[in-house]
Amino acid sequence: MTTLAHFQLLASMLFAVGLFGAVTRRNAIVVLLSIEIMFNAANLSLVAFWRYGPHPEQLSGVVFAIFGITIAAAEAAVGLALVIVIYRYYKSIEVDKMRSLKG
Amino acid sequence: MDVTFIILSLITVVGAIWAVTLRNLIHGVLSLVLFFFGVAGFFFYLNADFVGWVQILVYVGAVAILAIFAIMLTHNLTAKDEPGFFSLRWLTGMAIAAAVGAVLWFAIKNNAAMLQTAPAGVTSSVADIGRKMMTDWVVPFEVVSLLLTAAMIGAIVIAMEQISHRK
Repeated sequence: MTTLAHFQLLASMLFAVGLFGAVTRRNAIVVLLSIEIMFNAANLSLVAFWRYGPHPEQLSGVVFAIFGITIAAAEAAVGLALVIVIYRYYKSIEVDKMRSLKG
Repeated sequence: MDVTFIILSLITVVGAIWAVTLRNLIHGVLSLVLFFFGVAGFFFYLNADFVGWVQILVYVGAVAILAIFAIMLTHNLTAKDEPGFFSLRWLTGMAIAAAVGAVLWFAIKNNAAMLQTAPAGVTSSVADIGRKMMTDWVVPFEVVSLLLTAAMIGAIVIAMEQISHRK
């Protein structure tokens, strides 16, 4: 039988994979998509807590996950628009080259 | 642990690892789509059907297509100058991810409440979700609508600014 721990361990593993991508990759698009992986891991964790929790009729985890998906979509739209503007300005989307604010 | 869980976890973990490691960005986005479908499968498996359909619509239908458009608009099909396997950057990233993963693993393993099995008869119909959103969650719902509108207008303004500068 699948327990709550299985889902939470899987969600934490996916979160770690997303974190690895976000701190390692140089391409800004891949960094944004790694952040999406972390959002998805959090949503999976919330829905699993709802399914196994004591008050599933309250639907809190489901509603939270829908809000999370909405915010992730807004983040992706703004982030990818920023990537396009950064590409026009620097002619590159490597995060290491965006160092104008470095003192 | 049953077969469905094992298959879905293989799909999601392999999709996520490919998405963050592949050099070809289009292949990376395609494996990300695989990952999104795997997570949607988990939502169906957990009886959260509506979240699963929203996941497919928003992530596969919108975010992945948006990412492919961003890749094409920046003429950046292959990631150049990425750090290689076992470079210092990779080892640092792996150390950070392993540390965070180990903390979460430790917290989950030492919690007795995590060992419970799924109660039967848990469902989430669209009508119930809609009723909850329009009663208990109406203020967060309105705030999120405002945020989404602001983000859409903001994305258009950010992307358009440079065009007016060029003329």
